[in-house]
This record gives sequence, structure tokens and C-alpha cells, in this order.
Amino acid sequence: MGHWIYLIVPICLYLMFFVVPIVWTFWLSLHSWNGISRDMKWVGGGNFMTLFLQPRFHHAVVNNIAWLIFYLLAPSGLGLLLAVILDRGIRFEGFFRIVFFLPFTVPAVAVAAIWRWMYEPTNGLITTVLNTVGLGGWAQNWLGDPNIVTFSLMGSVLWWTTGFAFLVFFAGLRNIPVECIEAAQIEGATPWQIFWRVTFPLLWPSTIIVLGLAAIDAMRVFDIIWATTMGGPAYASEVMATQMYEIAFGRLEMGRASAIAVYLLVIAGVLIMPYITYMSRRVADSEDS
Amino acid sequence: MTRTPILPYIIAIFMVVLFMAPLVVAAMTSLKSPSELTQVLHLPTELYFENYVRAWQQMGRTFINSLLITGPAVLFSILVGTMAAYPLAYMRGRGGKLVYFLLLTGMLVPFQIVQIPLFLIIRWLGLYDTIPGMWLVHTAYAVPFCTFFMRNFFATVPQSMYEAALIDGCSKFGFLWRLLIPASTAGLSALAIIQSRYIWNDLLFAITLTNSDQARPATAAIAGFASGLQVEYGPLMAATLISVVPVMLAFLLFQKAFVRGLLGGAGK
Amino acid sequence: MSKRTGFLGALLLGTALTFGSTAMAEEAELWHFFSSGSEAEGLEALMAVTNGINSDQPITSRVFPGNILEMRRAIQTSLMGGNPPAAYGSGFGYELKIFADAGHLRPLDDVWERIRGDEIFPEGVKRVTMVDGHPMGIPFDLSLINNIFFNKKVLEDNGVEVPTDWDSLVAACDALRDAGVQPLANAGGPYWSMYNFYPALISTVGVDGYYALADGSMSFDSPEFREALDLFRNTLVSCYAENWSGKSWTQSGDDLVNGDVGMFMMGMWLGGYMRQAGFEPEVDFDFFPAPGTENLAIFQMDLFAIPAGTGPATEAGVAFAEAAASTAAQAAFTVPKGSIAPNLEVDPSIYDAVGAKASAELKNAEAVLPNLVFMLPTNLGTELGVQLERFAIDPSEETENEMITTLEALRVELQAENAFVKW
Repeated sequence: MGHWIYLIVPICLYLMFFVVPIVWTFWLSLHSWNGISRDMKWVGGGNFMTLFLQPRFHHAVVNNIAWLIFYLLAPSGLGLLLAVILDRGIRFEGFFRIVFFLPFTVPAVAVAAIWRWMYEPTNGLITTVLNTVGLGGWAQNWLGDPNIVTFSLMGSVLWWTTGFAFLVFFAGLRNIPVECIEAAQIEGATPWQIFWRVTFPLLWPSTIIVLGLAAIDAMRVFDIIWATTMGGPAYASEVMATQMYEIAFGRLEMGRASAIAVYLLVIAGVLIMPYITYMSRRVADSEDS
Repeated sequence: MTRTPILPYIIAIFMVVLFMAPLVVAAMTSLKSPSELTQVLHLPTELYFENYVRAWQQMGRTFINSLLITGPAVLFSILVGTMAAYPLAYMRGRGGKLVYFLLLTGMLVPFQIVQIPLFLIIRWLGLYDTIPGMWLVHTAYAVPFCTFFMRNFFATVPQSMYEAALIDGCSKFGFLWRLLIPASTAGLSALAIIQSRYIWNDLLFAITLTNSDQARPATAAIAGFASGLQVEYGPLMAATLISVVPVMLAFLLFQKAFVRGLLGGAGK
Repeated sequence: MSKRTGFLGALLLGTALTFGSTAMAEEAELWHFFSSGSEAEGLEALMAVTNGINSDQPITSRVFPGNILEMRRAIQTSLMGGNPPAAYGSGFGYELKIFADAGHLRPLDDVWERIRGDEIFPEGVKRVTMVDGHPMGIPFDLSLINNIFFNKKVLEDNGVEVPTDWDSLVAACDALRDAGVQPLANAGGPYWSMYNFYPALISTVGVDGYYALADGSMSFDSPEFREALDLFRNTLVSCYAENWSGKSWTQSGDDLVNGDVGMFMMGMWLGGYMRQAGFEPEVDFDFFPAPGTENLAIFQMDLFAIPAGTGPATEAGVAFAEAAASTAAQAAFTVPKGSIAPNLEVDPSIYDAVGAKASAELKNAEAVLPNLVFMLPTNLGTELGVQLERFAIDPSEETENEMITTLEALRVELQAENAFVKW
């Protein structure tokens, strides 16, 4: 029973700062309102229906799913690789650690500006390097081609957020009792076997953090897209969060924007929550074993 | 462990090049005079420090605000997260699971949409445009993430240890304070670094909930260099590089805790 | 633990409330988003003038980094919280109407009369400052958006004459392309392709047609609109540089400075940007009006609007708006920024070469036309920008048809809601 005391503050904060705004958003989503006028019109499920039938909205959802796949695989995988390399003992480890974490500390506005230079299609760094090594044919209109703009944005996000996964995995590796690994070494296991049989299972809590947050970030991804392309060209790089913002303040349709927020919550809930609960249960199992 | 394989070095150095290239461009830009900015990839002909002066002038007080906001907010958010994670990691039964699940759902809320109700709540509390208002908001919105994070780190300390400690007469708080927290130093440090970075780099809450130099953080000043029609790339990059320093210091400070063996002693 | 937690909570709340209560001072504030560079400099100079005039009721400024979307959000939240600023930087036309319709703006008829608004501002400016016959803002910053800038050296080196009509423009593009130079820059984003489209639109439907599109009486599936799109496709769109959609407008500006591209149709702020990069007006670059707009001026404009209220802050806001219309205040803002003053009584000799030329264009124009996008209902204006960017990237029949269907459906919907305005 005494446990509940610890939860009072978090739950109060949660009710005030999460539940109240969510209820407000849901209520707004049932109206047509420009955010400024005094009259709100009740439209019931109208906003939800409009979005449900709208190709523009479908496109944003599809992009979010692409981001989900990307976030789960790329920054997490690369972060794990880097953490393992450093954890196994390497010279200048401190230097590498700083460099791998550094991009994560750059504010989004600056990431967007920097990567605009990286991706400048004729004189940018990437195109220039490709031309220099004789792969000029691979150069693309990185941010201007509707078919590849999302992939380009993923590139900048990979640079930006790998530091997070790296850090969590690194901390997780350092939390693993060294005896476990030593024991395996004495038994003559190869490093590869040690990693998959000993280290990786013990790293499971860190993996949950990284993958759980990756999934959530993928659903909520906003600032880097907004600051780089504003969802363009012509909606090509839109995700639900940027579309919501554009509809709310670019078109002054607060009701419809709120409906996107509700969809986002529900879609994310359906896609992600079962998986987080599943993973959390595996932690519980490993605790008991 | 005596062999020194070459592959890890190749990968690490390759990644260093990839990770540093954009930052080198940023650093070069921060040292260019306006007339050189059109040649992004060229080296600056002379070192032009005026951008740093401009950056510092515009950031001015906001840099101190950022420090005043981030320090306590990181502390409070970790404290609240740890408090919530502890019972959730050891509580059995449906109640705990449900609370945990609900808290996690909070992570899915897109923050852009909560701005208007949030603004009204903060004004109602009389905390609009104040540094404590920013503490409160950053603490509140960090609850799900910090809880999630710490709960998973606590999970490395087995349930059996908890039960054994209670049988030995250790109080619940004593277990948290004397065993669990020391055993989770690496996790706490990682969380401190991550929270420092999130709070330090927040722009959305900053522009919604503050509007003057008495509370506005540095990110708002940095964004100011890239606002409206004009973008001042020189000062923007200079300001960015300045703003990276405190987070890196936090990183260097807290990463000291990533020393192997802390749990080795406490755990088994 | 519970005691300790409680104590911490109380401490947190206690400090919070002490700090909080001191922060609620009522001041007369101007909110704006001119946070960087010459715009920030201009605003500071303008405030110095206005506060000099109104030394008894000065006003302070608050900058909101971001663009017009952020400004809308800030004003909207402040209105809901019941503490709007004394004045804010606004767009014109529909941007004013949204707030005015909700009763959130103070009509400025009295100020307008005192500053002789009908005399000092051009007709086109007046039309989009009025909502239902009442002035709702005071214009202070104007930029023409119908000019094509060019790199003088690039054109001269390749023996290309400054174009004067659509045919010579296309011929110039061909000549530049043959010489290995990309002819015409453009940039990604929902505005620039739309601004580039206006000359083609006016060439096809004339000034009356332009206003007809703005007030919803011309349909998007009309043959005229399609004809305008075809003209756009065959002229400017055919001239665009490779990969233009992947560049920001400043990156395309860099291309113009570096001679990688010959011309760039952009608002006057491009002149300011190039000057900052050490590129001299009339020496290194110049501009000419886009074909079809030779005797016209199409403008983008900023105004100050005053939220409705009765307190001393509102009074200060009104006094500020009046002072901001003065020639001194308008000169103070526009000279550093490199734009021009909407107040025609401002002496043109204060401008640099670009400003002087643009100011002459504005004064001598047969018609001064407001930027179409801000005369359209916000939703339709935004959609038009996106659709035109899409069309400029892929000017196929298919895109054209889809675009027309989308826009026309939206127009019909908005007309049913009576959303259009006859400016």
C-alpha cells in the first residue's frame, strides 16, 4: 500500500498536464473552429470523417509508418554498434564518446540549417563529395524531390539522434555485471557468442528504452521536418504532427487539427502500446527468472 | 582482450568523419564574414569573430535563463521519474500495470497541440513567463519518459533482492536510497544527460510560455536568427556552437558514472 | 520519504508562486517576428522614432521567433488568455479579417483620418487594409514581389539583353542554358512559385481577373485559369534551374551571386540579402519587372494591428500606430531593411538604388496589387501555394488537372460558406 505515496506527485502532474489537454483536444476535434472567432460549430465526427477520406492525411500516416521503421532500425542499430565498439575497449575511447554524442546536443533549428547545406543539390557537401569520388550520378535533388525528401530527412535524423541510442546502450553495457562476461570468457565463448548469449539479453532494459522511445519519436517527429522543409515540397515530407500544425495555424482549422492529434494518439496507441507492454512483460519475466 | 582488432577502429574513425563533417561546416560558417557566406564549403579567408559577438549579444540574459531553467528542471524531472518508477518496478498486480500503461500513453501526446490549454493552465497558476513555470512544465512533461526510463533501469536489479532486503528489515525508502539508486548510477547519469539535452534544447514550450528576457531560454534567441524571411547564418552557427557547450559539459560530468563495476559490487 | 516529498513539493510550489506573482506587470507591448538582421535593426529604429513622438506613453517590443504561423499562434493564445498585446505585426487582407470578424481588433478610423490615410497610401494598399470599410491596421513595410533580379555580369558575358516580354525572357533563358548557365532560379516552399505565377496570371486575365480570382468569382476550372497555368509552364517554369526545389531562397540567392544562375524572380528582400553579401545594386545586379507587370506593382506588406481594448495599453498602441505612419518612422524601418515605405510621402531620395527604383515603380504603377494569397481565404491561399509549387516541380497535364480539381472544390466549398471578400 505504501507504494502509492510515491505516485501522488507524478499522477497529479499527469492529470493536469496530460489528461486535461487531451480531453480539451478531443472536445475541440468535434467542432469546426478557426481558433479566433467566438463561435464554434459542432460537427460531431465530421472532422474525423473528412480526414479518413483524405489522401493528404493518408500520405502523412504512411510517412509516419516509414519513420517508425526507420527509427526502430537505423539510429538504434547504429547506436548499439558504436556502444559495443567502445565498450569492448578501444583507444581514445573518451574522444569517440564525445564525438558520437555531440550531434545530439545541437538544437533542431541549427540541424535544419546545417543539413540544408549538406543536401544543397548542386554545391552541397554530399553532392560535392559524390562528384569528387566519381559517383556524381548518385547525387539527387535531396530535399526537392518529393520521392526522396523523406529519406533525406531520415539521414539528418540519423546523424542527430544516434547519440541518444549510443548513450543509453553504453550506460546499459556499463551496468552489466562484469562477472557474467568474465564467466563466459572463462568457458571459452567467442566474443560473438558472448554478445548474443550474455550481453544482449542483459541489455534488454536498455533496448526497451531505446526502441520504445524510437517508436514514440517516430510518431511525434516534428521539429526537424518543420524546420527543414515545412512538410514540403507539396506535402511530400508531411507527417501527422507537421500536418496538424499546418492545419491549425496555416489554415486556422483548429477542429480538424485537433482531430489529427486524436488520430495520432489512437494510431500511435494501436501501433506502439502493445509492443511496449509486450517488451515490458519480457523484462518482468527476466526479473523473475 | 589482448588482441587489438583493427575493424572497430575503422568503423569508429569512419563514423567520426561522418559525424564531424556537418559540424565542421557549421564551425566554418560561424567564422565567416557575411560576404563569404555564399560560398558554404570554402574555408573562411580570415577568422571573423564578429558572429560570436553578435550571437552572445542576442543570447545575453537568455543563456543564464537556460541554465536556471535546465538545472533544477533536470533535477526535479529525474526525482519525480525515479519516485514513480520505484513502485512501478516492484509493485505486483493490476493497479501498477494500469498506472504504468497510462503514464506511457502520455509519451504519445503530440506537444504541438497541447500548447493552448497548457498556456491557459500556466497562466491560471500565475506562472506565465517565469522560470519556475518552465520547471513545472518540463517536470510534468518528463514524467512518462523518466518513469519509463528509470523503471527499465531498476529492472536490472532483481525482485528477489528487493524481497530479501525487506526481510532483512530494510525500509522501502531505505532500499530505494541505499541499494537501488547506487545500483542504477549509470542509468541515472544517462537520464541526467538526456534530460539536460531535452530541456536545454526545448523551443516549443519556451515560445509558448515565456515572452521576455526574464524567463526566455537561449533556444528562442537562437531561433531568432532563423526567423521571418531572413536567416543570419553566421551568428546562427556561432550561437549554436556556444549553446552546445553546456550540454557537453553536463555530458562530460555525468558520464564519469559510466564506470564498470558499480553494480558488480552492489548487485551480486 | 513522504514528508520529504511533501516538503520538496511545497518548496517547488512556494518559489513558483513568489516568482509568478511578480511577473504580471501590465505593459504596453508590441509583438512582432522581426528577430534577425536588418529587419530587427529596422524595427528598433522605428521604435526609437515612435517612442520619441509618444514619449509620454512609450511601448516596448517583444519578439516571437518564427514566421506568420507562430505570430498567429501567439496572438491566438494571448486572446484566449485575455491579455493581448497593445499592438502586433500583422499581415493584411484576410489576416486582418479573421481577427476583425471576431471583434478582436480596434478599428482605426480615427487614426486613419488624422494621418490622412486615404492620401498617403496607394489605392491597392488601402483596399486590403480595410475590413468592411474600416481600416484595421497601419501599413509600415512594403516589398514588391513582381521583379526579376539578374546578375549583370552573367547576362553581359553571354551577350543576353535584359528581357522585356515573355518571348525575350524565354529567348534569354535559352541563350543562358546554351552557354552552360542555369537561366532562372526559384526556391522550394509554398510561396515562391506562387509569387512567380502572378505575372502569368495577370498577363492572361488582367487586373480585374486578378481581383476576380481573389473574391471567388472566377473559377479555377475556367479556360482563363488554365491558360494562365499554360503560360506559366511555357515561360518561367521552363526556365527554372535544375534542382531548384531542393534549395532555400537564400541558397538560390547564393547561386545568383556566384554566377551559377542568371536570374531570380523574388521579392525585394533578395536585394537586401545580396547587398549583405557584398553584391552591389546596379553594379553587380539589377532587376526588371516580370513580363505582363511592366506598369504594375504587386506587393507584400506588413502592418501594425491593435487588439480591441480600452485600457492605457490600447491607448499606447493607438498612439504607436499613428506615429508608425509618419514619414520618419516609415523611413526608419524600411531603409535598413531595404524595403519601401507604403506612405508615398516618404522622400524617395533616402533609398539606395534598388529601393529608389522600386519606389518609382510603386508611385508610377497603373495599378498597385496586393499579394493574392492574403486576399484569399486563408485555407485556399495556403492550398494555392502548395499546388503551384507542385505544378512548378512537375508541370504535367495530370498535375494541372488534379490541381484544378482540388482548388475548384475548395472554392465552391468556401463560396457556400460566404468566405470570400470583395477587397
